[in-house]
Amino acid sequence: MTDKPALSLDFKGLLCPMPVVKIAMAMKQVKVGQTVEAVATDPGVMADIPAWARTSGNELVELEKREKDIRFVVKRAK
Amino acid sequence: MNMLMFSQFLALAGLLAGVYGIYRRYAETKRRALPADKSPLKGNPQHGVTYAFTLGMMPWAKESTRLHMIAYLRGIGFHIGIFTAIGALIVSPFWGFLPAVLNLSLTVVLGIGSLLGAAGGVMRLTEHNLRGLSIPDDHFAVWLVTVWMAVSALAVWNEAFLVAFYILSAITLAYMPLGKIRHCLYFFFSRTFFGKFFGRRAVFPHPETAK
Amino acid sequence: MTETIELALKTLEAQLNQPLETALEACARCGLCAEACHYYRAEPKVEHIPAYRSEQLRNVYRYEHDFLSRVFPAWTGAKKLDEVTLANLSEMAYSQCTLCRRCTVNCPLGVDTPLMMRAIRAMATATGNAPEILVMLADAAIEKGKDPSFYKDMFLEQIREMEEQLRDITGDPNASIPVEKQGTKILYVPLAGAHTILPPAVVFNAAKEDWTLSIFEAANYGVFLADVNRAKAVAKRIVDEANRLGVKEIVIAECGHAYASYRWDVPNWFAGQFDFKVRSLIEVLAEYIRDGKIKVDPTAIPEGVTYHDSCNLARNGGLIEEPRYVLNKITTDFREMTPNKAEAICCGGGGGLVALAEYTERRLAAGKPKADQIKKTGARVVVAACENCRLQIGDLNEHYNLNVRITALTDLVVRAMRLPKPLPGTEAEHLFEGEGALVEK
Repeated sequence: MTDKPALSLDFKGLLCPMPVVKIAMAMKQVKVGQTVEAVATDPGVMADIPAWARTSGNELVELEKREKDIRFVVKRAK
Repeated sequence: MNMLMFSQFLALAGLLAGVYGIYRRYAETKRRALPADKSPLKGNPQHGVTYAFTLGMMPWAKESTRLHMIAYLRGIGFHIGIFTAIGALIVSPFWGFLPAVLNLSLTVVLGIGSLLGAAGGVMRLTEHNLRGLSIPDDHFAVWLVTVWMAVSALAVWNEAFLVAFYILSAITLAYMPLGKIRHCLYFFFSRTFFGKFFGRRAVFPHPETAK
Repeated sequence: MTETIELALKTLEAQLNQPLETALEACARCGLCAEACHYYRAEPKVEHIPAYRSEQLRNVYRYEHDFLSRVFPAWTGAKKLDEVTLANLSEMAYSQCTLCRRCTVNCPLGVDTPLMMRAIRAMATATGNAPEILVMLADAAIEKGKDPSFYKDMFLEQIREMEEQLRDITGDPNASIPVEKQGTKILYVPLAGAHTILPPAVVFNAAKEDWTLSIFEAANYGVFLADVNRAKAVAKRIVDEANRLGVKEIVIAECGHAYASYRWDVPNWFAGQFDFKVRSLIEVLAEYIRDGKIKVDPTAIPEGVTYHDSCNLARNGGLIEEPRYVLNKITTDFREMTPNKAEAICCGGGGGLVALAEYTERRLAAGKPKADQIKKTGARVVVAACENCRLQIGDLNEHYNLNVRITALTDLVVRAMRLPKPLPGTEAEHLFEGEGALVEK
């Protein structure tokens, strides 16, 4: 488990590329070292969020597919 | 050498400078890369080019010209006047041999052209959007060509205006490649690229609308 | 001259081919293009006239290239490029032009204003002035291509789940979603998300098509950045995949810019290595219906339906009659917007705008002409065959209280196929619900 996230976001119903757009915006609202948690329903996030985290220099801490949605946690690394 | 001959030499020099200047622009642009389009055709680029220079120029072909039909027709009339003035200049040594009806026609076309030019010049000064878009070159070019056409009309009608006509011809033609008037060259490039682009994609002429 | 300015000008020079120079030279500033632009229609001011926008780049070009402008800059408005001008140009090109080319078709000279806006976008991208999110999205796509292993297992797991759903809704126990199958006729390239995989899978299975699914998505943010290197890197994933699998054609999901780039640009970028036919899913749907490969109920959609022409599909792509053919086979009350087809008004979501949250207000304002058009049709359903258009019209729906449903063409076709069970999502009254609300903790 990670520390309590600084922000929790609901991306349910959002389609590509909005989850990436919104998580990128959210990362600017937290400090380096803090995390953002989000829940999405678009399966595209399973590939897009890890790829975005790799290229944007943020750390994907968790990515789990749950019964009805996908939850992920990203830590601001820089 | 009398004043008339001097002005005729000036006009000839202006014509040569203008043609050379436009040729230089043409050569410079042609030297630039022209990427070959290898995407598979849907329509026909050649048909697109034909459309771009014919039906695509009709006042009903575009929403913009349907909305501003009068402004567009004014522009067409103005440009007909300009090409007539160039033609009139080239045949000016033979004006005396032309049938009276042809001389009268020239005067009328050039006169109307200059009136339409003046209307355009006034619109550029008074209409909000046009004023906002215009640069000094635009105002100068439209009035220069308008006055040139007006004097052309007078010169066809009365020899007293010949010297003024030749001097103005020299200035207009020499200025042609320097300022906005050189769009006369780029019109051909632009409509050609337009036709190739939309023709290849079967957008213009559109098979459904072209039937 | 700073390094940034030098780089910006170098980028402009590198792009200065015959079509761009023509666009920079041809304009007579007649102003006839004004109403062609949805920004101007929404807010009529000089700054929103396409010719005015292009003039901002022309001023820079003239300073560098025009004799008269060098001698007497005030005469032509010529301006030396500086950091502030570059920032203003960049903002304009990314936030006030969707590259829809409506101004071009309305220009008596055919001036290609979007070509100039692309040139500015390229200058902005090269100098770090482009919107960060577009760069991120393009780079993330390239990253996926470098090493698909980091998500491929998860992707395949999702596809297996979708396959179960597919069998359930079609009642066909053999229905499948083949992924990267060797030697098929069609490589179908979806967008990220099940909504562009499941409905086409229904159609392909019903048509007994020899197809396979790409593990990549068709969207290409490098195109919006006017960055040919990035755009090529994104496209290369699919070109390589298609070559590796030995497919005959690539079918692109309902996506405007993806179709326009794969159909019209990619064959040029990869000349010699690209022997694939490229079609939009819309063309495939039309073919299946025409050839009787899928059966559709012509009375399936009794509601008033209108169709939004994506600029990239119609005006820039040539897909004009195909979607109408399909709609006329499955609807009983199809209503055209006016104007339409090559003259269609842009919805305001193109050019990457829907991904740029900082310009949301401008985007919604510029979408008003489209919202008005939709309202006038009185239709309850708006079909848009482009993801960005659907996102934008979804936002317009909410912003202007249009009270319409927005749907993809394939979803309606699937509905007309009268499956034993409805496709998830398409029967719902809302297809774009759920804003990502920020909740502070």
